[in-house]
Amino acid sequence: MVILAGKISKGTLMDQIYIPKERPLGFELGAPVVIKPAIEEAEIKAVYYNVDKLEPIKVMIIQNIFSELSALDNIIVTGSFLERGFQFNDIDVILINDKKTDPKKIEQHLNKLFDLNFHIIALDYNILLKGLETDPLYQAMLSRYVAKKRLIFRYKNKINYKLLDLHLLKSNLLIKNFDYLTGSQKYDMTRNLMAIFLFLNNRKISNAVIDGEIKKLLKEKAESIKHNIINKALFLKEFKGLYNKIFDRILDGVKNGSE
Amino acid sequence: MEVNRKKLINLFIENISNAILHRILEKAVEDDVIRRYYDKEFLNSFEIAKKYREKINPVDDKLPDSSEIKGIIIKRVNNELKIRISKGYKNIDLSLVESAANTILSELKIN
Repeated sequence: MVILAGKISKGTLMDQIYIPKERPLGFELGAPVVIKPAIEEAEIKAVYYNVDKLEPIKVMIIQNIFSELSALDNIIVTGSFLERGFQFNDIDVILINDKKTDPKKIEQHLNKLFDLNFHIIALDYNILLKGLETDPLYQAMLSRYVAKKRLIFRYKNKINYKLLDLHLLKSNLLIKNFDYLTGSQKYDMTRNLMAIFLFLNNRKISNAVIDGEIKKLLKEKAESIKHNIINKALFLKEFKGLYNKIFDRILDGVKNGSE
Repeated sequence: MEVNRKKLINLFIENISNAILHRILEKAVEDDVIRRYYDKEFLNSFEIAKKYREKINPVDDKLPDSSEIKGIIIKRVNNELKIRISKGYKNIDLSLVESAANTILSELKIN
């Protein structure tokens, strides 16, 4: 788009902006135009955590999200949007605000504004901390992010077996619907299973660790799962084996009285 | 992939049972603050089940085999819950299963 720059000068009844007689297309007499201050809006210096490289267009989108939601305490962009390329399903955004925020409303607003799919989680800092202590997927999600402000967390894993049982149900869907799921759905369910496994073993949870363990324990590359090119019989055998082991361990945990 | 009616109903039952199981187990989690944030999984199973339902005829009317489907769902959810109860799970209310099944099945125009 061609932009013309000018200066506001003082007029008698109204002030004006002079532009040259020889003008590019789109600036004909009578054409509607927009004028706005040429001073750039201050760019928010984003914090990159475990994100080495990001495509310029994604950086621009993140900057625009931050400006759009500038009233909130902190904004965290995470998930597949931060992976290389453009194969993300949606943009995961965690909003941290002490005042109540309506995530659905913001989601609809951003979907419309950017013409992309957003998945918004809104919570306050204490809930986020509680989520990190008890939810392996929160830990996986926050192992890599771009945020408006730096995040400092101090927490210890708290194993709540009943919650882990709930989380595990998500991976159960892979066994039941294998033939009808996309590669990325299968990967999400596998990732969930592996995050629970790592959490129960008090291990560090990050995307790289999860993918490494998928290869080691399920004998399949994460990329092959995402592309839905896996050997069904072999994969399901390993998956069910691990699923049952984790399920038994969770039920033993409940039995032994730790929540 | 072309799927026959029987297979679709089975897939529907698997997923809706998972959703109901999730709803009941959610209520057994003692931590109220955390619990509020965990209905997403219920929605996952529910949405998948809904997609299968949309492919089962009659799409806009009650299914002729609705009471059989409901019976299978209740049995499956009860079995899963009983495994947990035998392992010491507390706060599981088996009486909620039927009403949860009724609500969800009506919503999906099964009964």
